[in-house]
Amino acid sequence: MQALEAYLAYSMLVLAATLLSRTNRAMNLIALTHAVSCIALAAYSLGNAPMHYFDNNFLIDSLSIYEFFITGIIFFFALVYAGAHLERLVELGLLEKRNTKLYYLSLNCLLIFTILSFASNNLAVFWIFVELTTFFTAFLIAILNSKKNIDASLKYIFVTSTAMLFAFIGIILIFALSESALGKGTLNWDELLANARSFSPGFLAASFAFIFIGFSAKSGVAPFHTPLPHAYSKAPSAVSTIISAVMLNLGIYGILRTYAVVRQTSAAPAASNLLLAFGLLSIFVATFSMLHQRNVKKLVAFSSTEHSGLMLIGLAIGTPLAVFWVLYHMLAHALTKAVLFLSTGILQRQYNSNNAGKIINAFKLQPLASIGLILGGAAILGIPPFVIFISKYSILVQLAGYSLPLLLLVLLLLLLASAAFLSLGTEIFTHTQDTRIERYNAPKRMTAPIVALIILVFVLGIYFPSEIYALLTKIVSDLKF
Amino acid sequence: MITAALAESLTQALVVLVLISGAFIVTRKDLLSLVSTYQMQSLLLAGVALSLYSVDQSPTLLYLAGLTLVSKVLLIPYIIKRIQRKINISRDMEFHYVSPIASIFITIILILLVYGAFSNILKELALSNLFYLGAVFGISLTLMGMLITFSRKKVITKIIGYLTMENGVLLFSLFITELPFIIEVLILVDLFMIVLLATILSIGMDSSVEAYQERFHQLHIEDLQEKLHLHRKHRGES
Repeated sequence: MQALEAYLAYSMLVLAATLLSRTNRAMNLIALTHAVSCIALAAYSLGNAPMHYFDNNFLIDSLSIYEFFITGIIFFFALVYAGAHLERLVELGLLEKRNTKLYYLSLNCLLIFTILSFASNNLAVFWIFVELTTFFTAFLIAILNSKKNIDASLKYIFVTSTAMLFAFIGIILIFALSESALGKGTLNWDELLANARSFSPGFLAASFAFIFIGFSAKSGVAPFHTPLPHAYSKAPSAVSTIISAVMLNLGIYGILRTYAVVRQTSAAPAASNLLLAFGLLSIFVATFSMLHQRNVKKLVAFSSTEHSGLMLIGLAIGTPLAVFWVLYHMLAHALTKAVLFLSTGILQRQYNSNNAGKIINAFKLQPLASIGLILGGAAILGIPPFVIFISKYSILVQLAGYSLPLLLLVLLLLLLASAAFLSLGTEIFTHTQDTRIERYNAPKRMTAPIVALIILVFVLGIYFPSEIYALLTKIVSDLKF
Repeated sequence: MITAALAESLTQALVVLVLISGAFIVTRKDLLSLVSTYQMQSLLLAGVALSLYSVDQSPTLLYLAGLTLVSKVLLIPYIIKRIQRKINISRDMEFHYVSPIASIFITIILILLVYGAFSNILKELALSNLFYLGAVFGISLTLMGMLITFSRKKVITKIIGYLTMENGVLLFSLFITELPFIIEVLILVDLFMIVLLATILSIGMDSSVEAYQERFHQLHIEDLQEKLHLHRKHRGES
């Protein structure tokens, strides 16, 4: 049996076992083994890529492997955290006990469809799986007992699915294009990439624009970012982490694959300008929304929009080095965002609010979450020695070679974003009062992932593993940048 | 057997009717008639697929017509009507950003824009006039659906907007190219979405009812108990 089939068989086993198990602990353990199996799939594929499956509709290549790793790691930490967090949610009456099974089933399904999306070779198959991840994400947002969650979830579905329909139009156009150029229509990424030069550039650019609209909604690019702040702040923290770290990558991944095809033709400058425009717009909108933000989780959410903007700019530059650092930024951003969302999750359970005004004596009551928030905040702003510093700095260096005025503009916006983080941070951590708030003892299973992630973010900031270097170089050359 | 020319003019008429049904949805307030219009639109779409089938005899088109009939004409409207009964609202009075008259104008502008933009792109595919018309109308219908999704407030109307967009994509793909299996899956994804929305909404309705009852408990019952208590006390004293 091949690796992907083995993974699929195992994931079905996971779903069945979750259905049969009775306790929260058991379902959590099963889901954890599922996340580990994704990392195992990635590790196994590393030596054997590229591998084709099911009529070449699925392909595991270097880029898929890299995304498997990120997905597996983020799901693993989020799930460790979710186990204890869930008990607290049930205790508080925010989640009904009978819905816990549904929660784990949806998380497992979300992981399966994410892995299948990254393993798809066919653009349409990818579209279908991405759409399915949207549904399960929406479901996970809506699972908490509150009217606001339903609203956030509906908003998320409508904006994302509406945009995804445009991507579908783009897919139809690409199919028609390949049919007229090659005689036989194809939507396979490897075939599209190999034959890109025979496609008409104008037509390809139009298809790319449609596809870009769809996938950019998935990664929270402005102006499609509107549902994300609500979704992030209402969802359980483990789910926010997954949306921000994994779903965002899913969108950027789709854009990257399609962009790689367009790069082969003379439509490259048009596509690059499109990415640049939306990238700038995202950073701009995110920065100005962050400035007056008093809700911690929403601030972190807008920062995701800012970072997808930065990644789009990196792609727009389009040099092999820029793409290399965008890929590294995907990992760096995912890990750092996980630190931030998991820390704010503990604060949220302590104060039952994300509002800066309600957070009092944070250092005394929740020292670890406070440190997580401060270090995570420093890391996300790109302060050395954390991992984002390397990727952010390198993308900006590439931007300097591309256009100096643009670099200055982006730097100014990033500075403003830092100011937003600083001002909210000072407000939260200097807010002391003599109140008798009962301390919420966050269990080890909630604090351990934060500590582990901080260490990871720090270590990757000072040490660049040669394995990652080799993998990223392989991806860049596979995508023909 | 109908002739090719007849089939072509029939298709043309059906496509125009589909677009008119889109315009109708943009302006309607009454939720029940929105659902029926959507039903009618899907029926017309199945008709388009059938009349295209009569020309090129491709089994995919026949299959697609059948699938549209079962899911979009029967199943989805049925589920929507059930959700509607559960939520119990009959009119979407809140036109969020644009009034019906304005939305008609926006629609016309959208169609013209699409026509202009696509005349360049689609030239390269060397489509016949009929196919060009179908493709442009498909995109226009998609944009009209988007207008509905973003300009209305009620969830049911938004759903209808999304489904209209989806019909637009279907119309577009019918005329552009013959896709292998993807279109069918699109319809299935659609069904999945409706079921999911129905579930989320029913959870939402339940939880809001609960919240209401909770508040009711806090406000009235305690009040009543206090009154009762006072009353007894009063009687005891006297």
